[in-house]
Amino acid sequence: MTRTNRRKLALTSAVLAVAAMTASSLPAQAASDPGLTTTTIKLGITVPLTGIASPGYNKIPGAMKAYFDYVNANGGVNGRKITLVIKDDQYIPTTAVAKANELILKDKVFALVGTLGTASTKAISASTQLAKRGIPSLFVNTGFSGFADKKAYPTTFSILPSYQMEAKIMGKFLKDKYADKKLALIYQDDDFGRDALAGFKQAGITFGTYIPYASGSQSLPATGAGWISKLKASGAEVTVLFGVSSASTAALANAYAAQFKTQWVLGSVGGDATTIAATNKAYVPLLFGAKGFSFAPAPTDATDEYIKLFQSIYATAQPTQTFDNNVVAGMSNAFLAVQALQATGSNLTRAGLIKAIETKGASFASPFLTPLGYSATAHIGATGYWVGTYGPTGALTPDGGKYTVYTTDSGTGPVVLSTYTRPAMPAKGL
Amino acid sequence: MKISLKSRIVSALAVTALAGTVVVGAPTAANAAPQCATASFVTQCGGVGADGAPYAFIAAANFNGTVFLYSHGVRPAIDIPATLAPVGPYTKTNAAEPGPLAASDMSVINKLVAAGYGVAGSGFSRQGVNATEALAANKELIATFKTKFPTTKTVIAWGESLGAMHSQMLAEKNPELVDGVILACPAANPQDALIAYFGDALWGFKALFDPSIKVGGYSTDAATRQGEQLANIGKVLTVLGKLSAGLSSGAWPDTASPAGKALQAAGIPSRSALLLVGSMAGIPTRSKHVDGTSGPAGAAETYPLAVAPAVAILENMGTVGVAGSLLIADGELLTGGKVFDNSKTDYAARVASDRDIYSFAFSGNSAVDAMLGALAATPRETADAAAVAKIPGLIGLKGTIAKPTVIMAAESDEYTPASIAQWYIDGYDAQFAAAKDAAIAAAKSSRSYQAPVNKLVMLWAKTAPKYSKFTAAGSPDLGATIGAGTGHCNYTSAQYIAAAKMVAGAVNTGKFPNQGPIVTAAKKVGLSYDKKFRVPTFKSLA
Repeated sequence: MTRTNRRKLALTSAVLAVAAMTASSLPAQAASDPGLTTTTIKLGITVPLTGIASPGYNKIPGAMKAYFDYVNANGGVNGRKITLVIKDDQYIPTTAVAKANELILKDKVFALVGTLGTASTKAISASTQLAKRGIPSLFVNTGFSGFADKKAYPTTFSILPSYQMEAKIMGKFLKDKYADKKLALIYQDDDFGRDALAGFKQAGITFGTYIPYASGSQSLPATGAGWISKLKASGAEVTVLFGVSSASTAALANAYAAQFKTQWVLGSVGGDATTIAATNKAYVPLLFGAKGFSFAPAPTDATDEYIKLFQSIYATAQPTQTFDNNVVAGMSNAFLAVQALQATGSNLTRAGLIKAIETKGASFASPFLTPLGYSATAHIGATGYWVGTYGPTGALTPDGGKYTVYTTDSGTGPVVLSTYTRPAMPAKGL
Repeated sequence: MKISLKSRIVSALAVTALAGTVVVGAPTAANAAPQCATASFVTQCGGVGADGAPYAFIAAANFNGTVFLYSHGVRPAIDIPATLAPVGPYTKTNAAEPGPLAASDMSVINKLVAAGYGVAGSGFSRQGVNATEALAANKELIATFKTKFPTTKTVIAWGESLGAMHSQMLAEKNPELVDGVILACPAANPQDALIAYFGDALWGFKALFDPSIKVGGYSTDAATRQGEQLANIGKVLTVLGKLSAGLSSGAWPDTASPAGKALQAAGIPSRSALLLVGSMAGIPTRSKHVDGTSGPAGAAETYPLAVAPAVAILENMGTVGVAGSLLIADGELLTGGKVFDNSKTDYAARVASDRDIYSFAFSGNSAVDAMLGALAATPRETADAAAVAKIPGLIGLKGTIAKPTVIMAAESDEYTPASIAQWYIDGYDAQFAAAKDAAIAAAKSSRSYQAPVNKLVMLWAKTAPKYSKFTAAGSPDLGATIGAGTGHCNYTSAQYIAAAKMVAGAVNTGKFPNQGPIVTAAKKVGLSYDKKFRVPTFKSLA
């Protein structure tokens, strides 16, 4: 072998060695995140489709899919169409973990979206180690304030205002309207209720009677009857119920049976007429006159451009289903998810999606009547509520005939009248 | 006669030759040469090691140079009477076990020997916590085997439960003797987490259900200590029986502590307190017969939320309470003092993440707060510093993986929790990342990049979403087949053979195959190879 050839060979070897080293040492950026192809984005949701918490909530995935299909029919997101894999967790946290694992490991979704319930969301986050694996959990359907804490849940984003926010705003309402009344509170005895207690404390509200219930126990016949006995004994004139809809159903039905009259004030989670109707349509009129809270336009508000669009989309996708709060919730969730995916751009990655929500989320279009609170330090969605009264058919309409929205935070900030004007909906809601 | 034909004859006959339990007339003198007998081309040997521990080994005429050195799992160091059924009757034994399942099923040994491998195992001179004795016995057995079979080139150390600790310890302390490792349902005690697991459970039972239950402080007198252990097992079993009887009504055992009785008076059901103890210790909330997601007819939706987690803890606590009583007592004997310490444990933090997940089963936040408050009435345990200092020398492992290693672990193992496997995985991830960095750094000067080779394959026995069966009365059917991924060391012969083939192949070729063939091989025997699957770490290490 000539000297020149040896030198060429040595140089070639060196080049090949460096190339091999470089290729091996590069992080795996060449491969895309799971759940993505050049033409599709796969998202996953686990939600109670059956079980004690399913009435009403089981409409959410169908509503989400209806909006995603609408977006897909209009070109998708940056050329990619969205598919939604739906799993039934029956509101059992252990099952929710198993279903989330299926979504992540078998279905290989790009992100989770719309996980429902504080307990299930917590269980999934802990057991599947979303944060460690960088898997986004978008717009969880729970108002537990902890999920907005970026340090604790770096890849999770809320969509609802926190329960603390709701309780603070509710507290102002109670002070303004019922300052001289005997107050009672029925609340779910977990983080949901603990958030509410913190919010009421911030608002300076003390109840004469506190009735905690363990989540799930509201389905037992004796539970609701026991509440009403305690309320009767206390002479409560205004009763706040900070719990799920099945708890509202139990309370209203037992109050009716016992002919116990009180001014009901229902939290946003528990005041859903459709969910109550799913248990027994006869219970819906029991809502009549109760106060309720919401942060989205009323589903019966035909003047709202988002509601009009959502109604139109849903009527085509699910012509036999009623358009209600749960549909608005599902379609709003999907709408926000599309906003986030669009904002991330064509070079879609999990890390990029999280960053897009943190940096641009506060300015996303949304159907909500409050600003969004997303930032690099807080993963909070909507930030306020309006108060309304339930009519005989269970429809919630704003007091005073217009949406008077109050906003606050999950800490010590005051409750203030919001001056937020919701920007116009993007053309065709896309 | 051609080698291939001879191999076929040997293979056929070896199976027949080993149809029964390994029985060879063993010499009684320690250190004497093994006594061997050959029949149908299969040589079985038995002997007694320098420490008096019996051993056995087998190889056939087609021995290929690789021996599987097996370490059996923990055996109680004391006799247990029939009055403590189902734990007893048990008579202490040091019988040699040359392979997994050997006590009841020779199929693993048969298949390995027929394939040309050797198998060997000691009974160990000490039962209970015996890592020191096992290390010595295993080293000696390797030498003895090699003397009898001088063509031995490769040793694969494998073991289950405490035996897996012995195999790993051999690989760490004597890497020159081991070429491959298999750890089945491994025991390990990173930062005393396993001691804490058993101790927290027993202390919780003491604090709430029976103040006379012992957590530590066993007598140094052998007979007294044995009596104390047996009494403790009896108390744990009695409490479990009463908790079982009170599952529906919420009734507390009559032995409950004053704090427990106050909780009962406050309306908190005993099953919520049982779940609290499980949550404090990190006991799995899925057990052999309780999947946590199913319910009996008429309660399919509420049972998983309200009752199932506590029932799973009840079933798992049978193992935890008994094993804890035996192992902590043995640990104190070996170290000369108390080894469990919860003087600084924050039990509120331990249960924080479970409070909402199991809210109904806990009877709500207020009940959790009340139960945590009740714990304050029971004095904490303080370990002896000198005793604790001895623990690493007795059972300490680094967890480093230097040879091709397969780990098999069940997602809901109540004896050696899956957190141990996760500790190995996390440690190896860091080890591999460091090796990669070192290789890149080395390549900068040598201009030749040698990528590190993966040496760990983690095979999970995962649980299925639903597997519970219920009796007509609505209780879990304890006679039903146990759920996959639950219980301790419930591996099939096919699973052991698959692991053996994987490691033997890796030792032969220098590396494990790519992901695809491993996934296929694992799936074929009901295991899962998924590098993205994770389980929670020990609560005491979180």
